Order: sequence, then structure tokens, then C-alpha cells
Amino acid sequence: MREQLLKSFVDMDEQEAVKIARELVETDGGAVAVLDTCKEAMEEVGRLFEAGEYFLSELIAAGDMFNQIMEFTLPKLQGEEVASLGTMVLGTVQGDVHNIGKDIFKVMAEASGINVIDIGIDVPHEKFVEAIKEHKPELVGMCCLITLGVDSMKRTIEVIKEAGLRDDIKIIIGGGRVSQAVMEHVGADAWADDAARGVRLSKELLGKE
Amino acid sequence: MVSPEMQKLAEERAARMQAARELKEPDRVPFTGLGGDVIAAYAGITAYEYQFDFEKSRAAVLKWLKDFPSDSAMIGAGGLDCLPLAVAFSDFPDLAGGFMVVNGPMNDILKMKFARFPGRELDENSSPQFIGRSNMDPSEYDELIANPQKFAYEKILPRLSDNFKDLNSPLALATMARAGLERVRQGAEMAKTMAAIAELGYPFGPAGGLSYAPLDFIGDHLRDIPNTVLDLRRYPDKVKAATESILEVLFKLATANPNVASVGFPLHLNEYLSPELYKEFYWPTLKEFVLRLAEKGIKSSMFCEGWHDPHLETLLELPAGWGTAMFEKTDVRKAKKVLQGHTVVQGGIDVGVVISGTPAQIDEYIKQLLDDMMPGGGFILGANVGNLPRNTPIENIAAVYEAVEKYGKY
Repeated sequence: MREQLLKSFVDMDEQEAVKIARELVETDGGAVAVLDTCKEAMEEVGRLFEAGEYFLSELIAAGDMFNQIMEFTLPKLQGEEVASLGTMVLGTVQGDVHNIGKDIFKVMAEASGINVIDIGIDVPHEKFVEAIKEHKPELVGMCCLITLGVDSMKRTIEVIKEAGLRDDIKIIIGGGRVSQAVMEHVGADAWADDAARGVRLSKELLGKE
Repeated sequence: MVSPEMQKLAEERAARMQAARELKEPDRVPFTGLGGDVIAAYAGITAYEYQFDFEKSRAAVLKWLKDFPSDSAMIGAGGLDCLPLAVAFSDFPDLAGGFMVVNGPMNDILKMKFARFPGRELDENSSPQFIGRSNMDPSEYDELIANPQKFAYEKILPRLSDNFKDLNSPLALATMARAGLERVRQGAEMAKTMAAIAELGYPFGPAGGLSYAPLDFIGDHLRDIPNTVLDLRRYPDKVKAATESILEVLFKLATANPNVASVGFPLHLNEYLSPELYKEFYWPTLKEFVLRLAEKGIKSSMFCEGWHDPHLETLLELPAGWGTAMFEKTDVRKAKKVLQGHTVVQGGIDVGVVISGTPAQIDEYIKQLLDDMMPGGGFILGANVGNLPRNTPIENIAAVYEAVEKYGKY
């Protein structure tokens, strides 16, 4: 069954994947098996994306399947120890109100085992600082779609520095208009212009790959 | 009045653009110039003033065009696509064309929920932003397919703005009447701006229009992007039929003005789709659209947002000379190799480099770009995205223009 779930999930057969997961989750130890299999499937989808075989629509479809399946799987995992690779505070920077990219990244990051604290869109610089103080993450993810976000990321990182928190965290920036040059300009540690690369680099920054 | 000297300059600039559009080598590389939020910052005004105060935005644009001359001029702060409103009124081409785009002052009247403007929903120095939302349930595809105009008017408009919640209310009628008055006011402002820009030696070509690939109309305005890509797997036949229906109404709108000479298409879902999905759901109706326009002698331009690499070859299915493809992340060198002699390639300047490079790096960057892209013609130099942020170093912008001047001669 695990094999079938994995295959139908990776092949984007939504109906079949959800059906198998519903059956599997009712078996003994099934919830853990569903969770592990879906994580594996998401990783494979990310790999296919980076290999150029899958595209954003497959990432969105996979994220949607993952969420659908987790909705009935997570309640059955109450009390189970679910391992976390680390914590990440994630938000779209001040001035930018886009969320599609952030949301695709978020579900893939969660599926990879990162505990994601989503602080939303148009996030003021100070709110990043507060969230870092509150959640003590190892990682901070900043997203932007529009070019204005580049200024905003630079300023946010300055404010984090001023608060004396920069050395405690790694920062990854993401979005359609970021690049190596933008990363150096704003003073981040890594950059990704797609979610799959973002998750892979986040795991590297956490020392897990 | 336009002086004879400026008239001559305008003709030179127009000829330069025209030669490139005919896939030839002009005297110099045509350059669309840079722009965006930085124009307001350079004039010392906020993004809010730039969007809402036409006197100030006109002065800002003129200062920019004077200090940073290029071969074509932007007219103002621009706005956000508002195609459903135009579709709803597509039986009235004299009106509909004026409502394809909504800017800040117009949205004070229309109150479209997808729009975010500086000094309104956003900080006074933010950029205008379009925020997609789902305005349609998948169970409504049949209604959309049967009559997109009726569906846009009766179902979508009331969901886009609370002012149209009840289409028979005085509020709904008053909103359209006010929008009409505002349109007239803005038309006069625009004419004033264009006259002032013409005095600086900038050409204004024949009328250009804006439209959408039919699937993008669904993605941006009806179902939102994530739902649309899910619909492709869940309701493939409905989506396909809907794109065919939407093509008819969008074509009617695009050709409503008998003087229109070109139509621009910003492509949005292109980057989301595999070549298989692109060829099945996106490309057929966009291709048909461009072919029908070409039959009428109208050129098209596509702004291929994001990565367009997997779909590049599809452009070759269009007849040579169909129009212009602008690229964001796809390397223009690669695009030119595929499209040489067939499609005009536009873009090339990565705004990331202009934001974060040094003047010396930028000089070298432009030199290499022009070395690679100018031979053979059919290339228009421009930014890969239209918007440079407010804090872009002015010396970097100057470096771009100086390098174009230095290396741009054929």
C-alpha cells in the first residue's frame, strides 16, 4: 500500500492517492506510514522539479494533496513523536503582499520536516525581530515577488543585525526576482527562486543534508 | 509645440524601433529605457503621489525622460489589469476599452478587491499590487462557457467589488457613472502628458492594446492561480472549453478599436506549466488569438514572465514577423538563437544587476550583452522587469544609459 501511495502521489493521481491514504491511515501504525510516505513523495516531487521534469503546477498539486491527506492523518498522530529538522520563521517582506510562492515553499518545507512559523505577508521589519525572539528559529526565510522587496529585505536584515540577532540565525531569501547578486546585496546566506531549491538549501543551512 | 529638432529626434527613434520590429538592424540598438518606482523617488515624490497626483507624476516622468533619454516613453504610473470589467461591458466597445486597467484614482471609485495601491491599502512608498483571489466556484464553469460576458457581468463583477454587489442598486449605477467621468478626466490628463513628452522628441506610435491569454484570464481573475492549475487535472474538459469561449470575447475586445496596431499579452501561467500542460491548455487559444490578430495586420507582443525556456519553440509555430517576445528570466541569448529572423526579442537587462552592481560592473555587463545580442538585428534592449525599486542607485542607472550610448551603435 505504501508503494501504491508513493506512486500515485508522485504521478499526480490525486483521487487514488487520497483514497489509499484514507485506507492506510486506519491500519495499525498507518498514520505514521502515511506521513512518512507523503514526505518521501514530496521529496521526490521536489527532486523531479529540480531535474526539470516537473513544474510549478506539479508542486502546487503535490502541496494540495499533502494538505488534504494531512488533514485526516495528523489528528491520528496525536502523542506520536514527530521529528523536526529545525524551526524557520517565514514571511513575505514589508511592502509586498504576495503569498503564492511563500505558500508553495511552506508546505514543501513542512513536508521535509522543518517546523515553519508563517508570519504572513507585508511583514514589518520589527515583526521579524519579534518572531525571532519569540520562536528562536535556526532559520529565517524572507520572500518577495516584486522588485521593491529587495530594498525591504535589505532593511529587514539590517534591523535584525541592529537587534543583535543576526549571528544566531541563517537567512534564506526566496522569490521570483532574487539571485546571487541580490543575496550578496541584502546580506543573506542563501537564495532560491523556486521552492524545491529553497527547501534543499534550507536543509543544508540546518546542516541536515 | 514640438520643435523641428525634436520632431526629427522622434522620427529617428521611431525608425530605430520600427527597424528592430521588422527584424532588421537599425542605426543603434533601440532602448526602451528603465523605469518604475525609482522615477517617483528621483523626483522626490512618494509612490502615492506618483499614482494619485497627475501634476506631480507628469513632472516626475518628464524629468526622468529628460535626464535619461531612450527610444520610447512610459506615460505615467500605470495600473493593474481589470479585464473582467472590460469583458462585462464588451458589447460596448466605446466604453470597455477604457476599463481594462485600473489605477489608484479609478480604484477609489471602483473599489476592486484585487487592487492594492500605495497610500491606500499599502504604505505610501509601496508598488501597486494585484492580489489574485478565487471569484468563481468550479461548478460554475458551464455558465462561464455559455456566455463569458454575461457571467463576468452578473457573477464576477458583484464579487470583485462591493459596489456591484447589487447590480440594480443606485450605488452600482453611480459607480459606473463616476468611473465614466473619471475616465474622461484621466483622458485629458493623459493627452496633456503625451503632448509634453512629444516635445522632448519621443514618438508615439499607433494605438496599442492589452489582452490576456484566455487561460490567464481564468488564473488571474476567476479561479486564482493555484486553483486553476488544480482545475487542469480535475476538470480538464471544462477548462479547455472555457478558454475557447473566453478567446471569442477577448478577441472582440482587443479589436474593438479599429486603429489598434499592436496587442500586448503579459503571460502569467506559462512558468507554472509543463510543456504538456502548456500545449494542451494554454497555447492553443493564445496561438489562435495571435494568428487572428495577424490576419488583421495587428502585431502582438508577449511578455513571457518567469522562465519561458520549456515553451520557447512553440513561438516558431507562429508566422515569422508575428511580433515581439519579451523575456524575464529566460536568457535572451538563448531566445535569440531559437527565434532569430522570426520573432523580435526584447529585454536583456537584469534589474537585479542594476540594483546591486557597481557602475563598472554594469558597463561591462551591458557591453557583453550588446556584443552578443545586436548582430543580426531584431533586438530591442530593455529591462527584464519593468520596475526598478525606489532605492536603486542613480549612478547605476546612469551607467546603463552611458553604456548603451557607448556600445549601442551598429
